[in-house]
Amino acid sequence: MSLRIPCPCCGDRSVHEFVHGEIRRVPDHLTDPDERDLDFAFHHDNEEGVVTERWFHAQGCRRWFEIRRDTRTDRIIEAAES
Amino acid sequence: MTALLVNGQRVEARAGDSLLIAMLRAGLHPTGGGCLCLGGDCPNCLVTVDGVAYTRSCQVKAEAGMTVTRDHAGGEPALLSDQATWAESAAPVRHIHCDTVVIGQGESGREAAREAREAGFDVVTLDARDGQHVTGVYPGPLVVAADGGGRVLHVHPRREIVVATGAAEIQPVVSGSDLEGLVTARAAAELVAASIDLGRAVAVGEPPGELPSGSLAGHFPLGHGGWELVRFEGAGRVEAVVLRTRGDGEAAEERIECDTAVLGLGRNPRNALARMASDLPVRVVGGAATEPELPPCPGEGTVCPCSGVTVADLDGVWERGFHEMELLKRATLAGTGTCQGGVCLPYLRSFLLERGGRLQPAFTARPLNRQLTVRELAAGAHTAVTARSPLHDEHLRLGARMDRAGGWWRPWTYGRQDDEYRSVRERVSLGDVSSLGKMAISGPDAEAFLERIVPTRVATIRPGRCRYVLMLDERAHLLDDGMLCREADQDAGDRFFLTSTSGGSGFFELWMRDWAEAFGCDVRILNQTASLAAFNVTGPQAARLLARAGALELPAFGRHRRVRVAGVECRIVRLSFTGELSYELHHPAADARKLWRRLLEAGAAFGVQPHGLEALLRLRLEKGHIVIGQDTDYDSTPRRLAHEWAVSLDKGDFVGRRAIVRTNKQPLDKRLVMLRTDDPPPGSVEAPSAEGAAIHDGDRYAGYVTSDTGTAAGGGATMLGWLYLDAEGRLPREVTVDGRPARRVDGPTYDPQGERARAAVDVASESPENVREFPVTRLEATDVAAGAPAERPRLRRLEATRVSATPGALDALVADPLWPATALAFRTAPDELLVTATPDFEVAGDPHAIVERETAFSYVWLDGTTAERFLDRECEWRRPSARPALAQGEVAGIPAKLWFEAGRTLILTPAPFAAAFERRLTASLAEVDGDAE
Amino acid sequence: MNEFTERQMKLTWRAPKESYDVVIVGAGGHGLATAYYLATRHGITNVGVFERGYIGGGNSGRNTTIIRANYGIPAAVRFYQRSVDLYRGLEEETDRWLMHQQKGILWMAHSEAAVRAERMRAKLNTEFGAETEFVGPRQVEELCPQLDMSGGGRWPVLGASYHPQGATARHDRVVWALAEGAMERGAHVHQNTPVEGLILDGKRVAGVRTAAGNVAAGVVVSAVGGHVSRLAAMAGLRLPIRTHRLQAFVTNHYRQQFGPIVASSELFFYASQTARGEMLLGAEIDPQPSFSYRSSHDFVQHVCRRALCLLPFMSDLRVLRQWTGVCDMSPDYSPIMGRTGVPGFFITTGWGTWGFKAIPAGGEQIAELIATGETPELIAPFGLDRFARDRTMADRGSAGTH
Repeated sequence: MSLRIPCPCCGDRSVHEFVHGEIRRVPDHLTDPDERDLDFAFHHDNEEGVVTERWFHAQGCRRWFEIRRDTRTDRIIEAAES
Repeated sequence: MTALLVNGQRVEARAGDSLLIAMLRAGLHPTGGGCLCLGGDCPNCLVTVDGVAYTRSCQVKAEAGMTVTRDHAGGEPALLSDQATWAESAAPVRHIHCDTVVIGQGESGREAAREAREAGFDVVTLDARDGQHVTGVYPGPLVVAADGGGRVLHVHPRREIVVATGAAEIQPVVSGSDLEGLVTARAAAELVAASIDLGRAVAVGEPPGELPSGSLAGHFPLGHGGWELVRFEGAGRVEAVVLRTRGDGEAAEERIECDTAVLGLGRNPRNALARMASDLPVRVVGGAATEPELPPCPGEGTVCPCSGVTVADLDGVWERGFHEMELLKRATLAGTGTCQGGVCLPYLRSFLLERGGRLQPAFTARPLNRQLTVRELAAGAHTAVTARSPLHDEHLRLGARMDRAGGWWRPWTYGRQDDEYRSVRERVSLGDVSSLGKMAISGPDAEAFLERIVPTRVATIRPGRCRYVLMLDERAHLLDDGMLCREADQDAGDRFFLTSTSGGSGFFELWMRDWAEAFGCDVRILNQTASLAAFNVTGPQAARLLARAGALELPAFGRHRRVRVAGVECRIVRLSFTGELSYELHHPAADARKLWRRLLEAGAAFGVQPHGLEALLRLRLEKGHIVIGQDTDYDSTPRRLAHEWAVSLDKGDFVGRRAIVRTNKQPLDKRLVMLRTDDPPPGSVEAPSAEGAAIHDGDRYAGYVTSDTGTAAGGGATMLGWLYLDAEGRLPREVTVDGRPARRVDGPTYDPQGERARAAVDVASESPENVREFPVTRLEATDVAAGAPAERPRLRRLEATRVSATPGALDALVADPLWPATALAFRTAPDELLVTATPDFEVAGDPHAIVERETAFSYVWLDGTTAERFLDRECEWRRPSARPALAQGEVAGIPAKLWFEAGRTLILTPAPFAAAFERRLTASLAEVDGDAE
Repeated sequence: MNEFTERQMKLTWRAPKESYDVVIVGAGGHGLATAYYLATRHGITNVGVFERGYIGGGNSGRNTTIIRANYGIPAAVRFYQRSVDLYRGLEEETDRWLMHQQKGILWMAHSEAAVRAERMRAKLNTEFGAETEFVGPRQVEELCPQLDMSGGGRWPVLGASYHPQGATARHDRVVWALAEGAMERGAHVHQNTPVEGLILDGKRVAGVRTAAGNVAAGVVVSAVGGHVSRLAAMAGLRLPIRTHRLQAFVTNHYRQQFGPIVASSELFFYASQTARGEMLLGAEIDPQPSFSYRSSHDFVQHVCRRALCLLPFMSDLRVLRQWTGVCDMSPDYSPIMGRTGVPGFFITTGWGTWGFKAIPAGGEQIAELIATGETPELIAPFGLDRFARDRTMADRGSAGTH
């Protein structure tokens, strides 16, 4: 096991049981529809720090859920901390 | 006495001897020289034991029959051992869950373990002296160790990792430090305790505490007011230690003769495990927690015995500008050997401090702390398992060669390629497409949801009709394609059935659920991929075959209906991928083998036979149908694929719509086209597949071929390929492929109007006496609770029911169940339930609930003890302690659902993986590797 | 004394100036190659390369040192073939031993679909100058007798594409030779000097703020690996980049007995024996974005398991060391090189898992762009604007493992 992902339905499992999903945000300053779509389609915040992201528990309940993770350390921020 | 062989020489060991001690007793230094530490910190005792090189002989017990070679006494060990065959198997693993793990059982480790136990924690201890060598501390947290008995331990502490690994002794770095006869102070004490004669022993620095008086011939303290170590002298073996008064370069050297030099040069914490785990809950205690001591900057000698790096080497790279610790390491390779800097690191730091005036940090501590073998490291891992269709054994029985495609084993050919092809074109054939992704979708927003995830118009699909649909990503690149059916019976609201390609089936569900949540759609989604088998009945006689099997009411082209075929309930969908009259029969996987056999039997009169994937790829190519992943690429928009006909830009927003609008403003660069070559290549009768061949428009490179099945003698070929527009924005008509002329065609040359696929069908001609009667199987759910653990565990297919409904409705249903009391109900997700009962109930609280017969799973009961034994090895996650309890997750590399009762455990796994699971289960209980298929 | 200790190169460190014609952020392979080719091909030596750590300490010193050109689309095949050619001449050009070894790469196929993909790769590569042929099981066995052709009974080798020009070189030495070549001609390289910000003159990038003070620049080139999104954001740019961990490991060193580089896209690993004798194994990136350099056990565990299927002789080899780098991945698995739309700011990124093999060509082409002001034809398809122009690279050949 390496990184453990806390599935709210099934519990802590290896990251291998999951599929990662990104929550995409297009910056407000983009107003042109094509520019906004281009940003949505291709650009990423690629945040170094705490991100909110989605995971799908493919080997378990097969449902999506959200967690917060620090991409610098891969530490999962427990719900109580946020 | 125990006898072992060292380089062919018989060596006697005493009980309790380490391999090193046994060798020293026989007068053999493992590597021919260098200071021995007996603590696993240096590379000077490495040997090859039973074919495993780089083994620290001080850390291995001498055992009878061991074959040892002194490969490290000169040169390098062989990459390929002498074994004719190698065992392709991983070592067994054991997963241990605990609160606290204490690494090292010296004084501070024992103390830490006792304290933790007294505080009520569940403690695991690991000690190198018991053969438990910890290779790394990893996120998880996870501590990996060999267990000394051929197994690998994966310890999963919930609370804390205590590193109590003590301190290593600093090794000498002076001229002659690679001689034989040098030992550290602690090593000397151990050797004396093992009654090894040190001869005339001279101690330098801190003397060993535990030596009997009189065992030392002299003692020379180092440091302030003491001595400085200058060099060792001797030929092969040390004959004298040379010292001088510390700090006084002018002082005369003193030469002290000895047989053994005992070196107490200071200590350095063994803290690599803690350093590699910096942000994990790690506590370092005892010697491992001490501050490192810095030895004097070395003047000469070998700094890094692993890589043979001398002080002169360090000076050389320093002079040429390599001043950072990491550059010094990379330029000399110091610190990159077995001891991972155990010997050289203190000296590198003192060297850099002296030369550069700056104390640099130690280089990064990385796993592996102790080098396990590849088979030990592989312990607990499994290779990816390939799904099996419920017809897998049928295909094998019919002589199929199976091939991996899209994560499934599929029949590539039954060995009759041409006839497989002809049976479709001329007669009738069966093709197994059970691997298609299959989803049932219902709910108040079902139609609106589907409108938003497919570019094709959904509103105009009338009940009982179906339509080919694309699935795009947000870049408008094609992800997948499939078939969307609207149920005929819409009494309970909209309900749909959507398929995807085999390769996409793993992705299909998560993609749909992601968008359903993103759009906030009120839908129920049930994945029926493994629950339903499917075959394609295709060929001009397809309808007659089905009629003879009792299916007289067949759907027209573009429609689907539920029909009983040969006694089995099917959804028959009529579209065509082969270009012929085709019916896709979706039915419970549990009935697949029965239906397949009955259809082959009923079709014998028409010369029915199955076709494999190879024939299918040829059939579809003649019709120009694309295969996702073969003909498509990362940039495949509907426009590039010439699939704009499957996109309705005027129907409202859908995934990829904005990207289509955006990219349509850019000039088109290329298009997937059909090409037709008519001329067989000169001088050859057959042409191999031209896939990958460049397409030229005159001299201009104009693209490449993505699909071609090769050209038969004297015939032409139909190909698909990417064709680039020319400078004027035109798509060329006449091109060359591999130098052969080819023409771009606008549609298939085989049955261009699609008349064969759309042919009107009249089965009335099938006289009633031809219609066979097949028994209809009565549906019975598996009485799981009555099952019992068997001597030899076998997985069986489970007959059950799956429900997808709102969480509230399921709460109410579970509180007041509508199924027999003997049935078991597993809440697999808040909105999903698996019940071992027949699907003859309704969910009162949710009119949109999907209640379907479920045959996707196989099950087995294990008694409590057997289950524990199996799961300790094959389940790395923490299991629930309550009874009864449901748990889901990966077991033996395969997704599983575990139902724990007192004294027995039920395991469910998807039926396509059941054969692999059973094999791994059996192998695991026998403690062997079970990955072979 | 070992034969691998560096004995030739000399690195000359100088104090930073207040202004350079060209400032390069990142002294990895690509940054230093840009400085090297600016100096050697264009005589541009008023160049400052700024590095937050030590030279080659990022992905340049963490990759698996494979050099190949067998990509999946013409533009990529041409570009990487240029790099293969430059690498072949680099030892002679720099007069430094880079441990360059041409050993050939075998890409295994275990299924009919993979056989077709490898056949396609061979045809397309050959067409565009990167010699590759599809070879059957017998030839595979001859090229690499250590393979278990049955793949442990379940991943049979049905054939492979063979790319004889596949090579390896010592990553550190490549970095140092380029650094030395640039430095000896007057370029400055500054270690332990992180770039903390960009100096903007209107929309134009006019310099960098560093730990050692502000430095004016005619142009600024981002050759950053792993943190490029942060640097680009300082110029007001959002990039189509996500950063992922990539891991690798080596065994202890053993006698030279393993010839080619072998790879399997279906088993997801590749292996070669280094000049020093270690078996070096790598695989795919971690799927989730991360900047953590922490290595994981499951990586070694699963790659070892898969490698055993094809290379069972490795069973008793000991694994010595594992490590992690962080890779900047673009959506189309291809690099992004050239102008950014921000005046004075150039970029070379998206080097994912294939950056090492591109070092000479990437540096050469970016240097030409800076020196001439014209985007060279070889890298024109790789521009950042390709996403807006709907010209993504669609290179299935690069989506392999390395």
